[in-house]
Amino acid sequence: MTRATFETMGTVVSLEGAESPALLGAVRAVFDAADRRFSLYRPHSELRRIADGSLELLDSSAELREVYATALGWRGETGGAFTPHRPDGTVDLNGIVKAWAMAEAGRALGDGDWCLNVGGDVLVSGAAGSGAPWVVGIVDPADRTGLLTALPLVGGRRAAATSGSAERGDHIWTRGREAAEFVQVTVLADDIVTADVLATAIVSGGSTTLNDLTARFDVDVLTVARSGELRATPGIRELVTR
Amino acid sequence: MRRRAAVASVIASAGVLIAGFQIGSAVTAARTPSTTGTGTAPGGSASNSGTSGGTSSGSTGTTGSSGSSGPAKDGTFTGATEQTPFGPMQVAAVISGGKITDVKVLQKTNQGGRSVQISNQADPMLRSEVLQAQSANVSMIGGATYTSEGYLMSLQAALDQAGFTG
Repeated sequence: MTRATFETMGTVVSLEGAESPALLGAVRAVFDAADRRFSLYRPHSELRRIADGSLELLDSSAELREVYATALGWRGETGGAFTPHRPDGTVDLNGIVKAWAMAEAGRALGDGDWCLNVGGDVLVSGAAGSGAPWVVGIVDPADRTGLLTALPLVGGRRAAATSGSAERGDHIWTRGREAAEFVQVTVLADDIVTADVLATAIVSGGSTTLNDLTARFDVDVLTVARSGELRATPGIRELVTR
Repeated sequence: MRRRAAVASVIASAGVLIAGFQIGSAVTAARTPSTTGTGTAPGGSASNSGTSGGTSSGSTGTTGSSGSSGPAKDGTFTGATEQTPFGPMQVAAVISGGKITDVKVLQKTNQGGRSVQISNQADPMLRSEVLQAQSANVSMIGGATYTSEGYLMSLQAALDQAGFTG
């Protein structure tokens, strides 16, 4: 299978299995459009104009309002642990745009065998070249040149999202002033938005949020605490003992 | 009569037990569900629910506790539906030869499209346990979001450069 990489949204996309240039172009277009619209670092992005008051949210594009509404929905679902607002009230959709764009890219890629990695979050379809499931290696936050484990994506699990509290470039606003309890949280889910939002929420909300969300959502979770202690749901245990 | 009542009680308890287990798994502090009906509850209460702290105060099932006398008849006795945080739960006990030979879950919860999740709690795991999976053929590296600069030093970059041949 062919592998391509390109830069967008301040990070790097690795894509395996997009066999035609047209397909790769379609995927690039999805991310570049999302970046143009949602980046707070681009002076004239739509979201930047909302942040500086030159554009009313109600006058924004349907696409932006849809993503914002989705983010607000997740704020409710996570009891506020995930939020599309910075502490100063600025609308920051960074926590959801990447996953949202990945889902869009996934629709553009369609069925077939492919594996998409955007800045450490992974969405897959079908199987790897050998016909075996796609396997995602999870970085060890204590030694980023090593892996903590490797998780095959099986049984409808198409997405693996990882959030951390230590990495620059991650925008997780923890509730309260204390340091985040988990330095890294990986969530496996059937869709990438759920996986990414819940990983972010668990880093933000700590073990209370972890227990709440694992009880309410069909996800598998692996957490690394500041102390180095690991916690895993039964689904993760099954995967690593296969 | 007493056996019949006992059977109904067991069915009800099974319902409570399952509901309690569900609640227990949802409440952070409750690592293991308490067993029902043994000992004295704190404070001297004779309650046998064993699910203190649960949010569900569902009625206990009493279906099958008719007034007839004699030994428990063979058959399947259905408990009442219990409301749990995961949706309605209902169990039935199969009686054969005066003994419960099976307890069936009639109504499973469908939270997230999966059948009953007894517990999806994240429990401590040793590094040596997760490392067992290291030998797997890794296609991509998952980790907290890296920047474009961070990518250059990442395992993902190494993997991409190596050219995947799987």
